[in-house]
Parts: sequence; structure tokens; C-alpha cells
Amino acid sequence: MILRRIATVLFVPVMLAFGSGVYLYLGTLKSKVVQERPQKPTATKPKLQLPGTMFVVQEGRLFKLNAGNFIEIGPPGDWSQPTLTPDHTKLVAVLRAGYASDLYLLDLDGHVLKRMTKNDSKYVEYNHWAFYPHVSPDGANVLYGFDSPKQNGVDLAIWSMPLNGAQYQARRWTDPYYYTGGDVSPIPLASGGLLFVRHSIDPSTAVHSQIYYQSRALALAKPLTAAADDCSQAALSPDGTQLAMVCSHGKQSAALEIAPFNGTALGPARVLLDGGLYASPAWSPDGKALAYFAPQGLTGHFQLWYLALPVAPTPSPSISASSASTSAKASSTVAPTPTPAPTPVQVTEGVDLSATSPPVWY
Amino acid sequence: MLTLFCLLLSGTAGAAAYFFPVVVAGVGQTSQTVVVPPSRSPGASATPTPAAAPGAPFTVLLLGSDDDGKNKSPLTQSMILVRVEPTTKHVTMLSIPRDLWVPLSVGGSAKIDAAYAYGGPAAAIATVERNFHVHIDEYAWVGLKGLIKLIDRLGGVDLLVTNPVLDDEYPDDIDSAFLYGYRRVAVLPGAQHLDGSSALQYVRSRHNDINGDFGRSARQQQVLLAIKAKASTLNAADLPDIVDALKGNFKTSMGLDRVRTLLSVANAFDIANVKQIVLYVPLYTSYGRGPEYGNQSVIVPHWQEILAVTRANFP
Repeated sequence: MILRRIATVLFVPVMLAFGSGVYLYLGTLKSKVVQERPQKPTATKPKLQLPGTMFVVQEGRLFKLNAGNFIEIGPPGDWSQPTLTPDHTKLVAVLRAGYASDLYLLDLDGHVLKRMTKNDSKYVEYNHWAFYPHVSPDGANVLYGFDSPKQNGVDLAIWSMPLNGAQYQARRWTDPYYYTGGDVSPIPLASGGLLFVRHSIDPSTAVHSQIYYQSRALALAKPLTAAADDCSQAALSPDGTQLAMVCSHGKQSAALEIAPFNGTALGPARVLLDGGLYASPAWSPDGKALAYFAPQGLTGHFQLWYLALPVAPTPSPSISASSASTSAKASSTVAPTPTPAPTPVQVTEGVDLSATSPPVWY
Repeated sequence: MLTLFCLLLSGTAGAAAYFFPVVVAGVGQTSQTVVVPPSRSPGASATPTPAAAPGAPFTVLLLGSDDDGKNKSPLTQSMILVRVEPTTKHVTMLSIPRDLWVPLSVGGSAKIDAAYAYGGPAAAIATVERNFHVHIDEYAWVGLKGLIKLIDRLGGVDLLVTNPVLDDEYPDDIDSAFLYGYRRVAVLPGAQHLDGSSALQYVRSRHNDINGDFGRSARQQQVLLAIKAKASTLNAADLPDIVDALKGNFKTSMGLDRVRTLLSVANAFDIANVKQIVLYVPLYTSYGRGPEYGNQSVIVPHWQEILAVTRANFP
């Protein structure tokens, strides 16, 4: 009798433990999308060691990737869209704070050298956004997207200001379509011209993005891609002869494409990858590979990928300073890929890199 | 034998404790009773169609609104008719513009977003049924905070944002002491992973979109599909987390059977099987303003064109 009572008393904790075990076990059956949260890049090791140095962004923090290691740089804040000066000695990056964003000049270790713009105000309507900085090849100016003037909605136009100057010296380069979000992603060219992405909304209410070329400030801009192709996020190769871009063709997925560029016009595009959420391509320092972002696995967090470009004859553009419609038409005709499709290699795992901040690679 | 029984009992207790929040939510938030009142709108007819049988196609009215106490009765910021065909796994979504000027089921005419404010889900359902000549089997309401929490609990959603969504007059009413303020938002274009707050900004902003509320409707459908894609990877063990995220921010007339049917459609998710309809100007609607609309800016329905669409897609 006593033994039975002792057994009963001892069995109660076993029951409690078993019940708790079932509870905890059910918790482990949760799907990855609910359980997994991204890691900080510094807590991970890239699966592939990339040549050179790269800067990427995650959750407002700047990270430098060098020799297979991530290092966090820069002061705390909501940082994004870093870009290099042509001499590879400084960064220009965006800092969002409150209802505005500003451009900052930093050294390569993330120390702030200078606040370049002041776009915050205590009055909401006097705040401004500055995004997409890109330093001109001669290092004299920084071009960026800026929501001014605001008399017809809030749309980004491309502006240019001296890298060592002040914001009051900035001048507007482009005239965006109103109520579309405007013009983004400027790429200043060595010729003094500009590539950028313009958004438009057609009579059927469909939204389009196109890559445009413009020879000088406020000159007539010429589309290099067709509206139906919905190309954006252009990146110019180090030698300036090829353009990588993401084209969605009106779908909720995209293609990663490259096209030859002769300084004013694009040749036929080659589709490298199709049917994914590809974002923000960047050229390797030698121009033989691309890095880009794409989600991986069920969680959908964006990882860094590497794509060695297939060695293929890239025809130079047969179009020279042709009309806007002709050049747009040319780029919309995608040539068949003559070489085997390149195989992407996943570089990072378990992180959640900002897909709207293109990697900076040198 | 007794030992086995006791272990079974304790295991069941553990499982019951795990799913307890789901049961509570199942009782409190699903199977909400809705009594659709008889028609008071002249010229509009109530649909006598019987409720859909199990396995048969059914139509859900999705309602989204703030629940922050700004209005005693919140206006719906989003109304989407969703028809689900369980056998073919096809889904049709039709966004109803919030400013659509219609006769309300509770009497009078107003923007359709007022139907929910005046009479809750029953009035919203009756107003949509009578004007669009469709039968609605179920409704589901989600509050703004619920949407944020749900997306965060799902670890965010992946979207391809087509153009910059910039807004200087975005309502600053989530966790804000002053509910009538506004703030600036900027969602940049391109493929990206959005958390709950950013996704809400994306679906709620409308002041700088040339398509206005229609552009917003298209974005709402886009996010809904992204949520659905994410939800298709969930399993039963995730339910307590999801229920916790939606606590107090979700109500539906659907019973658990119908929720299960919806989940099975979500599991077989294929975007090619989803048809999206937005009632754009000028084909389906036009802009109106004047004394006949209470001097408000409204969307005027072109019923002939709209009803042709609803007849074809919501039989």
C-alpha cells in the first residue's frame, strides 16, 4: 500500500513532464516562416568568398564584406544605399530619420565625414527624401533622387550637387511624371550624360519603369527600354560597355538581363535568369560576374548571390544615337541566349539583406 | 494500463494547453453570426441564393478597417470580394473602391465604406449583395494592427514594388497619441522583403498615386496574394502564433470547416489560378462631385459594366 502511494506520488511529476514535453514538442513543429528570424551578417560566414570588398545593408546597418568576413560599420541609424566615390576612398550613403532622409559622406570604416543634405523640418510638408546617391565618374558631383519641387505630388526627380559643395548648389536634372513616384537610380556617365529609371502610368493604369538616357540637365530624356519590359535597377559594368538590369515584364517576378551599351543606346538584352524576385545587380570589379539579391527558401529573406557571366560574344549596339522609339524597341527584343544558362551561387545564408540597397563592390 | 492512460491524459492536456488560444479564438472570433437585413434600397434586389454547400464555390467579403477609436464606427478602408472554387483551386478577387457611391442597405446613399460604419458586417454584406447582385457566403474583417502583426508573425512578405510609393499625408494613427496626425512614408521600388508596418504603408497609401484608391486596391490584392503564398507554408502547430497575432483584430463568419477549405486552397496556391479585378475609371467607374453626392469626391459606378463582370465572375 505504501509502495503504491509512493509510486503514485512519483508518477505525478512524470505526467507533468510528459504533458510539458508534448507542449514543447508541438512548439518545435512550427513552420520555418514562423520560427526563423534573420541573423545579423556578422554572425554568419559567407558560403563563397568573393574577391575584393563589398558593402551591403541589413535593417538599417551598414556591413563591409571582405575576405569572407562581415564587419559592421557606421554609427547606429537607418542607413541605406551606400555608394563609392570613384577613387574608392569614401562612401556616400542615405540616412533615414523621422520623415526625411539625408546624404552623408563616410569613410570606408563608416565614420561620418560630412552631412551633405538637411532635409528634416518640424513641419511634415517641408521634409524631403534623398535616395539613390551615385557619384559622377570624375568625383565632382553626386547625383540622387530628391522629392522637390512638391507642387504636383511627391515625386522624386534626379538632382546633382557638388560632392564637396552644399545643398543650395544642387540643380535638378530630370522632370518626372507626376503622381508616379518619379525618377530613381541615377548613373552618371563619363560623357557627362545620365542613365536613370523613370516611372510612368499608361492609360490602362498599368505602372511601368524604363531606363532612360539624358545628355544634360533638363534635356529631353530618351527611353532605352520599352515600357512593356518594365526594366529598372540598372548597373553599368566597370568598363562602361554593358548594362545589367532587372526587367519584370509586367509580372510579379523578374528577369536578370544584360545588354551592351555604347554610351547612348542599348543593344539586344540577354536574359541570364528569369522567374525570380531578383534585385539590385552589381558588377564584380573585373566585370566578369554579377552579384544580386534574391530570396531564398520559405522565409523569403533576401540573400546575396553570385553569378559568373557566361563567356559569349556580346554584340555591340548597332544603334547609334537613334530615335527614342527605335532604341526602346531594340532593347525590348531579347536575343536568344546562345550559351548555357549560368548557374547562380548563393553567397549568404540566414541573413535578410536590404534588396533596395544595391551591393557596392570594388 | 493505468500508466498508459495517465500518460495519454497528460499528453492530451499538454496538447490542449498548446491549442487553447486557438480554441478560444475559434469560439470568439470565428462563426460570427450575421443577420443580413431585408432590402430597403429601391431597385436593388436581395439575392435569395442559398448558402454554399460544403465543397461548393463560395464568396467571402474581406473587410479591412482601422480600429483605433478614431471613429465610433470605423469606415472600411478595404473591401475585396473573393470567390473561392475549392475543387479547381481558382480564386477571383474584386476590389470595391471605398468611395463608390451606392444606396446603402440601411437606407440612403453614401460612399460604400460607410456601410460597415452604420451597420457592421451585416450592412456591408447586404449593401454589396444588393448593389453588385452577388451572394456573399461569409465575411472576414481584419483591423490594421492585425494585418501588421500577422505579416510580422509570418516573417514578412516578398513583393515586387513597381514604383516609389511616396505619401506626405499618410495617417499617423497606429500606436499614436494623436489619431488625426499624418506622416511621410516612402516605399522604394523593386523586389523586397517587407515587414508588417512597411506592408501596411504600401497597401494604405493613396495620396500620391495617380490611380488613387484604384492603385491602392491593386496593391492590396498584391499583398493579399503575398500573404497567401506565405500562409501556404503554415501548419497546425503555427495556429497559436497566428491566433495570437490576430487577437482582437479579426472576426469572421466562417466556421472551422470553411477555414480548413480556405487553407487547402492556399496550400495549392498558384498565382496563375488567381484572377484580379479592379474597377478602374473610366470603364467601370467615373469620378463625381456635387450636391447630389453630398459635395464629396466620390466614385460613380457604371452598373451595366460592373454587373457584367460580377455576373461572369461571381455567378
